[in-house]
Amino acid sequence: MVITNDVTLPEYSELKTDEVKLSTGALLTASAFIGKQCEGVNNEFMLCRQEQNDPRACLEVGKQVTACAKEVLRRIRKECCQEFNQYANCVDKSSRDYTFRHCRKTQAIFDDCMRERLCLLRNDFGYFCRARIHKSSSDPPEPPPCPCHPKVEDATPSLPDCKPRKPARFGGRLYWCND
Amino acid sequence: MDQACQVARKQDLPPPGGYKPIPYKRIPAKTLFSGYTMFAGYFGITAFAMYLYSLNYKQIVRDQIEMRSAKMAIYPMLLAERDRAYLKQLRKNRDAEAELMKDVPGWEVGTYYGEKVYKLLPPDTLVEPIFHEYYAHSGTWEWFQRAYLKLRS
Repeated sequence: MVITNDVTLPEYSELKTDEVKLSTGALLTASAFIGKQCEGVNNEFMLCRQEQNDPRACLEVGKQVTACAKEVLRRIRKECCQEFNQYANCVDKSSRDYTFRHCRKTQAIFDDCMRERLCLLRNDFGYFCRARIHKSSSDPPEPPPCPCHPKVEDATPSLPDCKPRKPARFGGRLYWCND
Repeated sequence: MDQACQVARKQDLPPPGGYKPIPYKRIPAKTLFSGYTMFAGYFGITAFAMYLYSLNYKQIVRDQIEMRSAKMAIYPMLLAERDRAYLKQLRKNRDAEAELMKDVPGWEVGTYYGEKVYKLLPPDTLVEPIFHEYYAHSGTWEWFQRAYLKLRS
């Protein structure tokens, strides 16, 4: 392993949180609403993850992401449980790659329920594929140190300037061209 | 000798009235379409097929965008969950290595008898271990399942 004792790894208790225990089909079914409702915290998490490039640095935001997704799913279950289950079942069983194309009717029923009871609208088509601007409240990380300064000492330092530089005792290897 | 072979001989001759004339006249196949009609038909059918293709292509692109959009919406949640599981497993691996090598004198966890893999990195840098190291302390079956994930998907 490359993980030494110097590396700070979070304790199990810090990593423990209430995970979303749903299958792929159900998650993809709810993805539009999860993505829209948790857009800010999701963007914050992905920004942190990209900037720090270290899973340890973004644990707290990650927990917020999961909590937000759980909150959305809890609201869906409270208000539109049957419609959601119908749609998720259709997505799950209609194809092997969870295509939504086969489930437009159940999707319309689910969207109606979400609109009427939770006042949540589905985003326009391909919303999450588009580039969006996120205004983050966190500060950008410190830039890495300039790579022009070597971190290690030179193993073969050059002769100090104070030392005398005598001509070579046996001449150079280029004697035939420089004299 | 000549007298012994006196047999009435019949010469092989054409049938009476002569042979029938040889039918060498060309009989062309019935032409259903002229050349111009066939060219026109080719281009017409190709154009129609390309129209159908474009419809299908647009449908496929729409489906791909929809699926990608759905996946990107839940990706942060999945990544957060994956990060927690990953860090949990790293700690588990480190503890397992410490437990396994506790009787070896001079062994330090994460190093080869104190010699680090990455000497110039700051000490608190998380270097992601390679696949075989990550699965070093798990069973063969878990390793196989992950390594040959494509067999199941």
